[in-house]
Amino acid sequence: MSDRKIRLLGCCMAALVSGLVINAAGARADDNTMTQERLLNADQEDGNWILHHKDYSAHRFSNLNQINADSVKNLKVAWTVQLGGLEGGGIWTHGGLEGTPIAENGFLYVTDGWGSVYKIDAHHGEGVMLWKMDPKTDHDWAGAVACCGVDNRGVALWGDMVISHSLDGRLIATDKNTGKIAWQRQVANPDKGEVITGAPLVVKNMAITGVAGAEYGIRGWVAATDLTTHKEVWRTYTIPGKGEPGSETWKDDHEARATGGGSTWVTGSYDPKSDTIFWGVGNPGPDWDSQYRPGDNLYTDSTIALDANSGKIKWHFQHTPNDPYDYDSVAENVLVDLNGPNGTQKLDLEADRNGVGYAVDRDSGKFLWAVPFVKKLTWTKGVDPETGRPLEYDASKPVQNYAVTPSRDDKVTMVCPGNMGGKNWPPTAYNPTLHLWYIPVIESCNRITNEPTKPGSFKAREMFTGGGPSDPVRITGSVTAIDVTTGKEVAKQEAPYPMLGGLLATPTLVFAGQPDGHVMALDAKSLAPLWTFNTGGGVSAPPITFTVDGKQYIALLVGQGGAWDKWFIDGTPDLKRIAPSSTLYVFGL
Amino acid sequence: MNQNSWIMALALILLTAIVSPAVHGQTATHEDSAEGLRLFRTNCAGCHRWHGGGGGGYGGDALSLRRTKLDRAQIIEVIGCGRPGTGMPFHLRDAYNDGKCYGLSATDVSNGMVREAKNFLRPNEIEIIADYVIANVKGRGEPSFAECQAFFGTGSRACNVYKSQQTAGQ
Repeated sequence: MSDRKIRLLGCCMAALVSGLVINAAGARADDNTMTQERLLNADQEDGNWILHHKDYSAHRFSNLNQINADSVKNLKVAWTVQLGGLEGGGIWTHGGLEGTPIAENGFLYVTDGWGSVYKIDAHHGEGVMLWKMDPKTDHDWAGAVACCGVDNRGVALWGDMVISHSLDGRLIATDKNTGKIAWQRQVANPDKGEVITGAPLVVKNMAITGVAGAEYGIRGWVAATDLTTHKEVWRTYTIPGKGEPGSETWKDDHEARATGGGSTWVTGSYDPKSDTIFWGVGNPGPDWDSQYRPGDNLYTDSTIALDANSGKIKWHFQHTPNDPYDYDSVAENVLVDLNGPNGTQKLDLEADRNGVGYAVDRDSGKFLWAVPFVKKLTWTKGVDPETGRPLEYDASKPVQNYAVTPSRDDKVTMVCPGNMGGKNWPPTAYNPTLHLWYIPVIESCNRITNEPTKPGSFKAREMFTGGGPSDPVRITGSVTAIDVTTGKEVAKQEAPYPMLGGLLATPTLVFAGQPDGHVMALDAKSLAPLWTFNTGGGVSAPPITFTVDGKQYIALLVGQGGAWDKWFIDGTPDLKRIAPSSTLYVFGL
Repeated sequence: MNQNSWIMALALILLTAIVSPAVHGQTATHEDSAEGLRLFRTNCAGCHRWHGGGGGGYGGDALSLRRTKLDRAQIIEVIGCGRPGTGMPFHLRDAYNDGKCYGLSATDVSNGMVREAKNFLRPNEIEIIADYVIANVKGRGEPSFAECQAFFGTGSRACNVYKSQQTAGQ
C-alpha cells in the first residue's frame, strides 16, 4: 500500500469515526439528512441553527448559554472567512450580505448577495471553505430591477440538499456534499420586475418562495414548489384577481390591481398544529400615490395566514389600509404561546414598518393589541384598541387621510417613521422565558414627495412608485423590548445608526450589529450594552449561534448590504466612509 | 502702456481665465464612449435609469436626460454642482469651496440644501459623462432593444423586455 493510499484510508477512517460521535446538539453527527421531523423540532437542536428563523415560530432564540451575561466580556473573534459576491450589476455598484447562516453539525451554509452558496467546515477552530456553488446569476437582468440592493438572506436544508434562491428568480437545490446543482426551477420573472431576495421556507417537502418587486408594479405572490417533483404545488397571489375576495378593495376604474405590488420578500413562519403558514405582504404600488388606487388595497400591508396544503388564505390582518407611505408588512410573523388563567393564548406578533407592533390571534386573525415601538410616530394619532385600525381610518372613504398623508394635495410631507419603516426586514427575536420580544428599530423620519401617476403609464422593468423619498434629517436606531404579556415597551437601547441587521436572543443576551461595523451584546432584561466589537465593515445581517465539539460560537455575515448606501445615506452621512466587504465572522470565548 | 491699458489687459486676462474652461468644455468632446458608459452606469443610472429617462423611485424624481434641453456646458455644471433643493447631488469635491457653483458656500452644503454625491468625480470624468449623455441619451425617443444591448451587452437578459416590445410593435 502506497503512502498516498494509507493517508487516504486514514482520512476516511477518521471521517467515519467522527461521524459516529454524538455532538453537542444531541443529534448524531451522521444525522445529516434534513427531515420534516427535525424541522418541527428545530428548537431542540440547541447546537444547530437549521431554519432561517431558528424555528418555525421565528423566535431566533437559542438555549445555548456558555456565552452569557457574565462571560460575554471574554468574547473575541475565533476566525473569519472571506466570501465573494462584491461585484455590482444592474443599477448596483456592489453586492452585500444580509443572510442568516444555517449551522448543522459544525458546518455552516451561507450566501452572498448574488446567491452563491458557501459550505464552511467550522471544526478544528477555524473555518475551511469546502465548496462554493455559483448559480451564475444574470447580474444585469436582476440587478437592474432589484429596488433595494443585491441581497440574499440565506438557505434552507432538505434531505441532502441545500435549497436556495438567486436574485434572478430561481429556486436551486444543491447537493450538500458536493456543491453541485442537482436541479433548479425558475420561480420569479425579472422581465416583470420580479426578483427574489428572501430565504426559502421548507414545509412538508415544499419550498415556499416569496418575491420582491412592488416598486416595479408587480402583482405579488407566495409560491410552493414540491421538492421531489420540482413542480409548483400552489401559487397564491397577494393581490386578488377580478371577482375574488378582496378585489372589492380596489375601487379604481383603471385596473390598479394589475400593478398593485404586495411583494413577499421576507421568510415566513409555520404553525404545524393548524398547518398554517404565516407570511407578510408588502406595500401597494405605486408606493406614494394612494389616490391612484382608492380602496383598502388588500392584501397589501397585511399578514396573511395560508393553508399549507393549498395556499388558500385563511385570514388576513391589514395594518395600513390604502397605504401612502411604503409601509410594508413583509416582516416575519413571530408565533408565541402564552399560558394564562383562560388557557393558552396563541399570538402572532408582527413589528410593522409603520412603527407599530401588533399581536393578533393566530388561529383567527383577531386583533389583540398594538404598541408603537419608535420614538416618533406622526402618520397616525394612534391605533384603535378595538379594531387595530389607525384611528383616522374611515371605511366609507376610498382614499384614507391619516394624520400626515402624502398626496396629490400635499405633495411634500415629512413622515415618521420614514419609508424604510420603524422596522424593516431585519428580524426580531423573542425570549420565551422572559416573554420579551426584541425589535431592531430604525428611528427615523423622512420626506416624501408625491408624483401623480397617470393610468397607462406603467412600463415593465421601470420604477412605478408615484414619487420618492429623501432624507434631510438624521436617522438613528434602537433595540426595543416589548413584554408580550402586557403589550408594553419595557426597554429601549438607543444606537447611533439604524438597525439594519436583525437580532439574536439567548437566555441572558441579545446580539445585534450596526451599519458602522459594530457588533454588540445587550443584557436580555435591561438591554444595557455588555460587549462590543468593531468588525470594520457594515453589518446588515442577523447573528446566529451554534456549537462545534461542545463549544458555543456566534456567527455573523459582515458586508454592507441593501439599499442604505445608495438611497438613504443622507440620513447617516458619516456612513459614507464604510466600504463594501464580504466576510463571515465567527466569535467564541 | 497707460493705466487704462493695464486695466484693459488685466480684464482680458481675467476674462480669458474665467471663460476658457467653458469654451474648452463646449468644443472639446471625448470619443471614449466606453468610458462614458462605465461612468454613467456607476454614477448616474441608479436614479436616471440605464436609458437616462429618469422617473420617480427610491432615488427621487430624477429628470429625463433624453428630454433635457441642457447643453454640454450646462450638463457639466449640473453634474459638478448638483441642483440645490433637489435630489441631484454635486460631484465636484470643491464645488462649494469658492462660490463657483451658484455663488453658494460650504454652509449651504452642510445644511442639506445641496446633496453631496457618495463618490466625487474628476473634471475630466464629468466631461466624459456629459459627452456620453449628448451622444447616446439626449434627444432620444423611447428606449430600444439596440440601445439596451449597447448598454448592458448581449450576454444578459436585461433587454428581453425591449425585444418583446419591438416584436409586438411589428
